[in-house]
Amino acid sequence: MGRLALIARLALRDLRHRPVEALLVLIAITAATTTLTLGLVLHGTSTGHSYEQTRAATAGPDAVATDVSASYLPRVLARAKQAGVVAVGGPYPVASVLMRAHGYTAGVTAEGRDQASGPIDRPDVVQGTWVTPGGVVVERSFAAALGLSVGERVTLNGRVLRVAGIAVTAASPPYPESGFLATPLAAGDEPGLVWLTRAEAASLATPAAPLTYTVEVKLADPAATTALAGADGFTGNWTSWQAIAAEDAKEVTNEQLVLDVGSWLLGLLSVASVAVLVGGRLAEQTRRVGLLKAVGGTPGTVLLVLLAEYLMLALAATAAGLAAGRLAAPVLTSFSFFAGLQAAPADPPVTAATAALVLAAALAIAMLATALPALRAARASTVRALADAARTPARRARLTALSARLPAPLLLGLRLAARRPGRSVLSGVSVAITVTTLVTVLIYRASHGQPPPGAAAAAGGPSANPISQVMLVITVVLVVLAVVNAVFTAWATVLDARYPSALARTFGTTPSQVAAAVLAAQLLPALPGALIGVPAGVGLYAAVSNGSALTMPSDQWVAAVVAGALLAVALFTAVPARLGAHGPVAAILRSETA
Amino acid sequence: MTPLLSARAVRKTYGRGVALVRAVDEVDLDVATGETVAIMGPSGCGKSTLLHLLGGLDRPDSGQITLAGKQVSRLGERGLARMRRSAVGFVFQAFHLMDELTAVENVELPALLAGRPPRAARRRALELLDRTGLADRARFLPSALSGGQRQRVAVARALANEPLIVLADEPTGNLDSAATLDVLRLFDGLHDAGQTLVIVTHDSRIAATADRLITMRDGAFVDETRLTGGTAGSLGKLAGLES
Amino acid sequence: MQQEVILAMLAKEPTHGYELRARLRLALGPVGEELNAGQVYVTLTRLEKAGLVASETTPGVSERPDRKVYGLTPEGQQRVAAWLTEVSWPKPDLTEFHLKLTAAFAARLADPIAIIDAQRRELLRRLRDAQRAALTEPDVSDAALLLEGIVLRLQADLRWLEACERTWTTRRNTR
Repeated sequence: MGRLALIARLALRDLRHRPVEALLVLIAITAATTTLTLGLVLHGTSTGHSYEQTRAATAGPDAVATDVSASYLPRVLARAKQAGVVAVGGPYPVASVLMRAHGYTAGVTAEGRDQASGPIDRPDVVQGTWVTPGGVVVERSFAAALGLSVGERVTLNGRVLRVAGIAVTAASPPYPESGFLATPLAAGDEPGLVWLTRAEAASLATPAAPLTYTVEVKLADPAATTALAGADGFTGNWTSWQAIAAEDAKEVTNEQLVLDVGSWLLGLLSVASVAVLVGGRLAEQTRRVGLLKAVGGTPGTVLLVLLAEYLMLALAATAAGLAAGRLAAPVLTSFSFFAGLQAAPADPPVTAATAALVLAAALAIAMLATALPALRAARASTVRALADAARTPARRARLTALSARLPAPLLLGLRLAARRPGRSVLSGVSVAITVTTLVTVLIYRASHGQPPPGAAAAAGGPSANPISQVMLVITVVLVVLAVVNAVFTAWATVLDARYPSALARTFGTTPSQVAAAVLAAQLLPALPGALIGVPAGVGLYAAVSNGSALTMPSDQWVAAVVAGALLAVALFTAVPARLGAHGPVAAILRSETA
Repeated sequence: MTPLLSARAVRKTYGRGVALVRAVDEVDLDVATGETVAIMGPSGCGKSTLLHLLGGLDRPDSGQITLAGKQVSRLGERGLARMRRSAVGFVFQAFHLMDELTAVENVELPALLAGRPPRAARRRALELLDRTGLADRARFLPSALSGGQRQRVAVARALANEPLIVLADEPTGNLDSAATLDVLRLFDGLHDAGQTLVIVTHDSRIAATADRLITMRDGAFVDETRLTGGTAGSLGKLAGLES
Repeated sequence: MQQEVILAMLAKEPTHGYELRARLRLALGPVGEELNAGQVYVTLTRLEKAGLVASETTPGVSERPDRKVYGLTPEGQQRVAAWLTEVSWPKPDLTEFHLKLTAAFAARLADPIAIIDAQRRELLRRLRDAQRAALTEPDVSDAALLLEGIVLRLQADLRWLEACERTWTTRRNTR
């Protein structure tokens, strides 16, 4: 026990000695643990439960017939009788209108209802009141997407109405209907649901868009919807409640999918970031290792001491991630499609299983990143370790010969990058992950008819898309992590380049050549990383969407992402490179040996 | 004849107030072409600082340094770099060879960085290694070379760009006596070939190879001796063969 | 005991014989243990005979017997001045040089640092000559070996001279 206490004390002291690095490692791992927590917590929530709850509370129908023309209506009603319905709601007149609200234009299904509620489908009014003349009640997920609240004015086919209330129903899937996995509707064709008085609805019909009818039924046996709506839940005009529930579930599945994929991407980037942060440090730890070994520490103890710090950080990151995920989960569920159900599920609990999984993930990240350098440091011979023989770069004959033909900055840059191949590869991987994510997001938006980010408001369609919002959050977190990674890698490269640069300057290399060399050393791995990210993004999207049709974003956007990533790397490197290139040569040479 | 290297009233101080250190205190120096000048003094007397100033690795606080007619002290960083490219070669106490490069790759590096074509740089590097007697070790890594051999590679590297002057900072500081002899021989050879050398050392053997020996103390020159020409006593007397 | 040393020690002021011995012992430390009392008096007598030193007898006070006081003659002073500027380096005998410095300092005859510098210069020239000769000899010849020995001894002596310089600089500055 005493040994563990000693190790813990050593680890804590070392962490306090270098607070900035410890903080960076903590941030890197926490980004991954938070996303993972969110994903797991949302996995735990069962929408089936929430849908059941809504269905029971609003007397949801077992099957719904939509888009029924007036002439077809009798046949539909007859069919329902055949299938053994016990109650019928409607028929409700439905007009397809164009609604303008908040500067957006959206297609809308306007359903005409009575003041009094019928036996089936009594939408739960969560805000305001039910339909009144001059008033329109908006379905909750639609309202959330548009940002509508009670009392605002909207225009339906030119007629100004007031939002009287917001309600939840189990008879319609949430807005927008199309999900990641479903066949997307024709671009821009995502109608929302609103309720009006029968008279108002009827008056909104136009010769071009005549009234249709919606009929809702309750069956003797709720499970026997296949008689009406077929095996997949959709036949002709009929939609079964199971299909609607499945649509809801799909939204969640989509969201969870995004969170899962996002967690993996963030996890990978986190490993890369921590590896870079750790790799440079452990090279300096060799002397510490030598001391420990010289005073009798076994290889096991030595390894423990090296890893103890990162274990502690992983623990801290787990706690932070669990807390952050727990706090963020309600936010996600609130702006997600759950708005289309009666009540967001009670604060999703963080179960012991979740905590255990997140801890395992944090430890895995820390261990993956530190295992190799720690093993190497622990295995170094004691004598060499005490003599502080910092890892001599390996000899690369062919690379040296090749670089001899290049101009001075590229010559130095290539050799600098080759001195620490691990770090070069890791920074390339980080760029690749970032570009992959951005490309995937671009493809998603292109495939779902959404204008690329920035053009949404101009096109006039509502920009809020729950899945895109989750994607956006993950992308932002990932980009922030990538930036931190890039900045740190740049500083580490500059520090590593101090000695060779100083030496080169004694031969007559100018400071600007030296700064250019450091820049080249960073860009050389970043370029293939950025280029690989493009097909990787395509592959990721294809894998995740199970081969559903994808549309490639325009070439300009892809080129912009690649160029942007490279430019960012260059920018973060330029400042420290320039600062480092003007350091005092004699002092640097005196203080360091190769 | 105008001296190749000339310093006038060069001053370099560090620190402030109580902690002020006059590393180089109003130093005047002239080095003629082909001359070997040795600067001796106790540690901390400022001789290394002076050498760095002469080679443009550092800037004096005041005074002038002229090399081959150009005012070194007025040049900007880029100008200094260019000057070092063609006019100055450095030899350091710690050798400062790149561990991952072979001897010949180390020697050709300054030429490559100066923009010479790779083949010409390689050829010259091999020539220089031949001159320093290390032709058969050209493809060895520094870790496979002894201290004396490493320093000789460093000297060859300093000559890569055909410098007007070679500045050596305690070249034998890290060497044993046998290796010192090797380097000594090398410097002697360079001197005979007409190379201008300024050597900072506390080893009297190296100092004895110089034409002129300057003693430095507390940042200033306190003594100057001409070592060439005139000696008191024959070699026989030295060996104790006296009446 | 070198005659010049005794002369130099008398340069400050005329001294009794026993006082001279005491000063020598002080200056030599452990090395002076072996100093024979008789040696000093023998040298004094020889110097008197050579006319470089003159003696006076002071009358005794109470029970003390008569004592002889020795002092430099003008020729003696000349001899001392010439000796101080000599830079011949005898066979390894550091004692003489050491005492030369002590005497010069005590009698304010010359700056010890100047003496050391002059001697250093001379040794360096000798070192250079020997070294050059050694380098021209084929590597493993006997001559080269001998010259190497000379060089190494000179180098050692030079290191000692540097140490002398350090010590005497401090001593001079705290005077």
